[in-house]
Amino acid sequence: MDASTDLHFPPAERIGSAPLLRTERLTVRFGGLAALNGVNFELARDEVRAIIGPNGAGKSTFFNCLTGVLRPSSGRILFKGEDITGLSCDRISRKGIARSYQITNILPNATALENVRIAAQSRRHRWSMFTHHRAYGDIIAKAEAALEAVGLRGKAEVLAANLSHGEQRNLEIGIALATEPELLCLDEPTAGMSAAETRDAMELVRRIAKNLTILIVEHDMQVVMELAHRITVFHYGEVLAEGTPAEIQRNPKVLEVYLKT
Amino acid sequence: MKKRSHKTYWIGFCVVVALLAAAPLALPDFWRRFLTEILIWGLLAMSSDLLVGYTGMLSFGHSAFFGLGMYGAAAALLTVSPPNLWLAVGCGLVGAAGVALFAAYFSTRLRDIYFAITTLIFSQIFYVIIFTWTDVTGGENGLTFRRPPLSIPWIYATPFTNETLHWFVLAVVTASYLILRRITQSPFGMVLQSIRENENRTRAVGYPVERYKVVAVMLSGLFAGLAGVLYAIQNRFAAPDFVYFLVSGETVIFNVMGGIGTLIGPIVGAGFFLLLRETLSRFFTEYYLIPVGMMFIAMVIFMPQGLLGFARNWLNR
Repeated sequence: MDASTDLHFPPAERIGSAPLLRTERLTVRFGGLAALNGVNFELARDEVRAIIGPNGAGKSTFFNCLTGVLRPSSGRILFKGEDITGLSCDRISRKGIARSYQITNILPNATALENVRIAAQSRRHRWSMFTHHRAYGDIIAKAEAALEAVGLRGKAEVLAANLSHGEQRNLEIGIALATEPELLCLDEPTAGMSAAETRDAMELVRRIAKNLTILIVEHDMQVVMELAHRITVFHYGEVLAEGTPAEIQRNPKVLEVYLKT
Repeated sequence: MKKRSHKTYWIGFCVVVALLAAAPLALPDFWRRFLTEILIWGLLAMSSDLLVGYTGMLSFGHSAFFGLGMYGAAAALLTVSPPNLWLAVGCGLVGAAGVALFAAYFSTRLRDIYFAITTLIFSQIFYVIIFTWTDVTGGENGLTFRRPPLSIPWIYATPFTNETLHWFVLAVVTASYLILRRITQSPFGMVLQSIRENENRTRAVGYPVERYKVVAVMLSGLFAGLAGVLYAIQNRFAAPDFVYFLVSGETVIFNVMGGIGTLIGPIVGAGFFLLLRETLSRFFTEYYLIPVGMMFIAMVIFMPQGLLGFARNWLNR
């Protein structure tokens, strides 16, 4: 009880005035096509925000801009008030934005622990050359904490390639967590999961949301309605609507383009 | 169990080093010299393993690093009198590192086959420069010089004998192996392996991948240059043939034969290849490359992991 009620009500007092993330007229053009068209977006600290929209609405493009994979054609991205527009992926990661991928993106030939250890190490001792990596207790502790958080502590020594699909999805989140982000972007974390795995993944997101701001792209409406404080609906590269889950469910425009099925 | 395999590893290491150290006392002169050369080529192969095996970058430019190590040493030995061993080592390393920085800066922006081709082109550029700049490099004839004495600076110096030269080479190669091994096990080395496994993911968790690649190429070039210095000291000459891309090709073959990503494998591969070539060239005279090539193809098909590939996990502990 709990966790979910807890999450649905506190935003008002938890959310401060300055937004953690803000985009100003963010535009991405591929040739003549505007994949994102003047998106103004604000995300408050400690919020869980879902982005929904039909395929091709610009959700992934938006994520790719935030995490430095794509350079926007125009507009600005501000994170903690600092302009991070067009920084490289690794710089943005070090600023405190982490992401998970829609298509599982891990180190398949490394163990689960090594996967998160590499991520944890990117914040400390990352140029150390003459000390054995196992000598750094702080890195291992961080890595184990990240595995613990995603429920993979017992699978630490298993090769990532040998984990089940659901476990790999969770490892994906564990890698993101190990970089100690302030903003976590989850790209369809429940993609391809069974119903039971989806429940577990939701539980997991709820748990980590307690001290993290989360931006989540998701197709599963049940997941979105239960997890998010607020929802932003994208349509043809523009923001169609924004509001609480209840407002979005009643919004006629949203019903027409997206929810009616 | 892990502890025991660790112990076995170090016992094995000591036995092998002891055998290599004792070898010149037992071997006839030709084979002693041959063994010293295997160690030098093994160091070159090991240096390229840092890129090929650990970072997943196929380099065809190691002849340039090796060659610049040679010419760097030659420059020091020819200009400073009396010739000084450590000055030669230092100049060789500076030469190789300079070339490595230059090549790395441009080539690490590219991936896979494009990286390989770029390193190949860079090594050929240096080959042409060395081959044509006769006034400085001696052109086609290369440079010859006297071997410097084995010295501890300001304390002690004695001319190299065949045995002490072998031991000196063995000591340098062993130390290089231990340093490279530690580098591959360090957080830095883990990042290199992560780049090999998944470059985009490595970048996404916050590593400036290009900078890691530049440093990896520099380190690799430094050890390749060290091999070049040793070769120059052993043979008392520097020649443009060693900057030619065939040397890079052989380096890759040593790696593939021995097993990439093991450090030891490339040394074993170098030994195996050179022995094979030596033996077969006695039977087949000028056609020896045909059986060598067939043997290589058979190994790639039936033993894709190389001679030591099976021990890869164990050697990387």
